[in-house]
Amino acid sequence: MTDAPTNLHLGPLSPASGPLYQQIVDGIKREVLADRLTAGSALPSYRVLAERLLVSLITVKRAYEELEREGITFSRQGLGTFVAARGNDRTRADRRATARSALRSATHAARQAGVTDRELIQMLRDELKSQPAESNHEPIRGSAP
Amino acid sequence: MSASAIEFQDIHKRFGLAFSLGPLTLTVPRGSIYALIGPNGAGKSTALNMLMGMGEPARGSIKVLDRDIRHDEVDIKRRTAYVSPDMDYRAWGTVGRAIDFVRGFYADWDAARCEELQFAFDVHRDVRVDALSFGGRMKLALVLALSRDAELLVLDEPTLGLDAIARRQLFTELLKFMTRDGRTILISSHQLADLERFADHAAIVNQGKLLTSGRMDKLVERYRQFDARVLRDTPLGVPGVSVIDRQGDRVRLLVDGDVVSASPLEMPQIEVLAQVPFTLEELFLALITSANGRSGWWPHMSAA
Repeated sequence: MTDAPTNLHLGPLSPASGPLYQQIVDGIKREVLADRLTAGSALPSYRVLAERLLVSLITVKRAYEELEREGITFSRQGLGTFVAARGNDRTRADRRATARSALRSATHAARQAGVTDRELIQMLRDELKSQPAESNHEPIRGSAP
Repeated sequence: MSASAIEFQDIHKRFGLAFSLGPLTLTVPRGSIYALIGPNGAGKSTALNMLMGMGEPARGSIKVLDRDIRHDEVDIKRRTAYVSPDMDYRAWGTVGRAIDFVRGFYADWDAARCEELQFAFDVHRDVRVDALSFGGRMKLALVLALSRDAELLVLDEPTLGLDAIARRQLFTELLKFMTRDGRTILISSHQLADLERFADHAAIVNQGKLLTSGRMDKLVERYRQFDARVLRDTPLGVPGVSVIDRQGDRVRLLVDGDVVSASPLEMPQIEVLAQVPFTLEELFLALITSANGRSGWWPHMSAA
């Protein structure tokens, strides 16, 4: 068995932050998105990652199955699990879908609360201001409608 | 080599009138950490002792690493390491003498590993065994068991007396043990939060019988608990649904997803208010409460 050379940074997992397998899935997606895990790079074996993260083998296995199902990784019998060529795109698309869905429910909640469209847009501006964009993102321009 | 490390096949054993074990059928898959969970006196230690040749079942068979316990006890013990709270090393005086004595028995003893383990568990050779705390003796037993390159670890309540740091160290070492191919651990413990995190499979036993077993994550997902309001005071009597608590017109229900597939739960007697997620500990409490009570019926509660 070849140990993965990959330097995988996943923080300590705590059951208080939700299902452990989901934390592994999210952590690996984060690494893929940040290009710290690039296409073709090997993930550690179940046993090695379980020992490192202090979780059961089943938990790691389940996380890997989930990542494979989503097309982020693929596995080769006897060789291990690797980041898929388009894993990065899939992760990004996945994240955009999550953001879109969060906006949809925020809009719904605002309408339910009787917030006007103008107020809602102002709320979004306030949120954007309170969470400054990273340098590679386009800053928001233009004036309020 | 078969896919299972341990097979209990329809075993029975009776101890007077008060306690009997079985019928019990249980398979521990090779390559897994398997948790044996149950209240005090459920029969966990009795079952584990049988694996190590202490007590034979009156009926049924037990296979360990593909060998029959009746015929191949020596071979099984050569390949299996065992820890229980009853182990007593006081006769050897110091920790160092106990280690030196035990290592002579085993061809698979790893001296370098033993050094690492002594450091990890903070066990010192020159300390007298009878001066150790209960937890300290447990750590010594763990060092002795884990210093071997065994195929199977049988651990009977190894967390007893250990503080949170030592417990974490224990599970770290168990996961390290599992990085070697084809290793299996059967562990009984009351530290259910630890088992939920570190064990791959679990079996819950009560009064000598198996209540449920399966992959840890599937087990916790298979059962659901609901908080509901009682609309009509007629008994439930629905298979797969049992009442685990009642206060006034509020009940908490345990639902076995393998029996009741409807989600959300729909019954004329109740209005479901919320589904409450399970931890292994809560599932354990619910299953034992349900097994020892009148499952499926409104329990008769005295007025609060």
